[in-house]
Amino acid sequence: MQALTINNVRKRYGDVEVLKGIDLDIAAGQFLILVGPSGCGKSTLLNMIAGLETVSDGTISIGDRDVTDLSPKDRDIAMVFQSYALYPNMTVRGNIAFGMEIRKVPKAEQDEIVTRVSTMLQIDHLLDRKPGQLSGGQRQRVAMGRALARDPSVFLFDEPLSNLDAKLRVEMRSEIKQLHQRTGTTVVYVTHDQIEAMTLGDAIAVMKDGEVQQFGTPQEIYDSPANLFVAGFMGSTPINFIPCTVHSQDGVPAVTLVSDHGEVTVRLPHYAALQSYEGQEIIIGLRPEQVTQVDSAGAPPGTITFSAPVTMLEPTGPDTLVSVALNGQRVIGRAHPDAVPPVGQSMTLQANFSRAVAFDPKTELLIQA
Amino acid sequence: MSSRTAGAGMHPGWRVLTYAILLVAALYYLLPLFVMLNTSLKSLAEIRSGNLLSLPQDPSLAAWSKAWGSACTGISCDGVKGYFWNSVKITVPAVLISTMVGAINGYVLSKWRFRGSNLFFGMLLVGTMLPFQVVLLPMARTLGELGLAGTVSGLIMVHVIYGIAFTTLFFRNFYIGVPDDLVRAARIDGAGFWRIFFRIMLPMSLPIIMVSLIWQMTQIWNDFLFGVVYSSGDAQPITVALNNLVNSTTGVKEYNVDMAAAIIAALPTLLVYVLAGSYFVRGMTAGAVKG
Repeated sequence: MQALTINNVRKRYGDVEVLKGIDLDIAAGQFLILVGPSGCGKSTLLNMIAGLETVSDGTISIGDRDVTDLSPKDRDIAMVFQSYALYPNMTVRGNIAFGMEIRKVPKAEQDEIVTRVSTMLQIDHLLDRKPGQLSGGQRQRVAMGRALARDPSVFLFDEPLSNLDAKLRVEMRSEIKQLHQRTGTTVVYVTHDQIEAMTLGDAIAVMKDGEVQQFGTPQEIYDSPANLFVAGFMGSTPINFIPCTVHSQDGVPAVTLVSDHGEVTVRLPHYAALQSYEGQEIIIGLRPEQVTQVDSAGAPPGTITFSAPVTMLEPTGPDTLVSVALNGQRVIGRAHPDAVPPVGQSMTLQANFSRAVAFDPKTELLIQA
Repeated sequence: MSSRTAGAGMHPGWRVLTYAILLVAALYYLLPLFVMLNTSLKSLAEIRSGNLLSLPQDPSLAAWSKAWGSACTGISCDGVKGYFWNSVKITVPAVLISTMVGAINGYVLSKWRFRGSNLFFGMLLVGTMLPFQVVLLPMARTLGELGLAGTVSGLIMVHVIYGIAFTTLFFRNFYIGVPDDLVRAARIDGAGFWRIFFRIMLPMSLPIIMVSLIWQMTQIWNDFLFGVVYSSGDAQPITVALNNLVNSTTGVKEYNVDMAAAIIAALPTLLVYVLAGSYFVRGMTAGAVKG
């Protein structure tokens, strides 16, 4: 049985369609990420799952119940908001217990749940404070505590970490992950941050302009992005897009890379589908970590080497990002800090094209291998 | 906010000048009050012989007790006390009802928008600019139809209706600054329209409630026009009684009694400002700075 099924859901405001037929489903206990740039409709979709916005078309089911027309309180969900939305006039205890009070949970049971939840989140010493007296991270925990107290069948998170500073964000991210592993409850989590998406999700739906661009596991989405948008959106150092023309070499599709220091032909034996693109332009997508300093111990098959003048260096600590130009396009590689020459000098790099993906520049879609 | 205290680093000469100007302004505003208080404590003979600013030689509260209990206002000679209580009976319910309705209106207009709610709010805003005179005749007719003409309840109704435009504006602008997520969170917790209002919105509204109470209290207590038009005889508020007392005495003009009655009429609003003035300022600036 699926924990959450979204079937051809649409949302219209007047003539404007902001969600254009969303289909998603996840199994119980999964962590679903809705990720995309602002305005892609991810928060609208989450609000529709919560019942805070009406559904123009399509159905939403939680478990085996069709909840499309149910009010939020009858959907067996709990939600954590970006602004935390803690009730300012109530204590932390009051905030956590408010929902139970409305559902008329017996007082003794309420106390027990508040104690259990607050201990789990390490906010048991804050129970008598008001939200105004808490730090950002503590408010975040209280908001999660309020959701946990409900013990719902689906947790909804609306960009819960975006108001925290960088360090706290990483901390809370791993706590949310631990919490999910401990409770095993299904989660739908909206974010615009692709790192959160990659680290937290069991399944990711990448959205843009009210449509799901790709729905899959984080690794699937990272390794074989469905289109140029998904490829460019996912990955903290952006993927390299290299425009190339396909030609045939000994019956194998190949492309030519041109740098200031010469050119090199790359054979793409694993990419038989490129045969039909012979003579046409394609866009090669190559992740920065596939472009690195030459490994003296030998390179994996499908690797080529080339030299080019370094145009920019961005040290990150463990690696240094090296920018060079290939086919008139900036290409970023990830090299060991010791292996990097100063800017302006030539560097020999190896690029593993066995992990490269190719896109059709007209449709912007992935060319399946 | 800057950690420097106001005036720090200012040239001493400028500071002296600043305080001098403030002092003059304060004296200018306090002078009438002083004269009123001073005169109310004097006897008529002393008022006639002395000057306005000289202190009373033999201070007495006789004028106050006459104003309160036995001065003539029109035909009756029972002082202003009956009218004072009329004003209380009009002001208290009218202030409370208009504030309550304004709070509910503001809550709906900011958190439960409906089709046309902006238009509705715009029309309500027109109500705040409507001069009293415009509503006099239609309201008189309405009160007549309802059988409320000349009664305390009628005056309460007039003040509530006229005040709702203002109180709605106060609360709507206050609630607009309250994040919508709060209402959404409460809805997910299972709270409905009224529970969200009473448990979440109202408890955080103290500053704006104070603004509304003070504003309405001042408006309604000090109102003269509605009072003089829609009430008669025993139902008149103190502002009307004060006018009658000052204008309808025959023979000697008792300035000390007039002054005492005027102070009695002004006392409640003064008291409200003294007690709740700090809330008023806080409420007016709420939202300007993140609480």
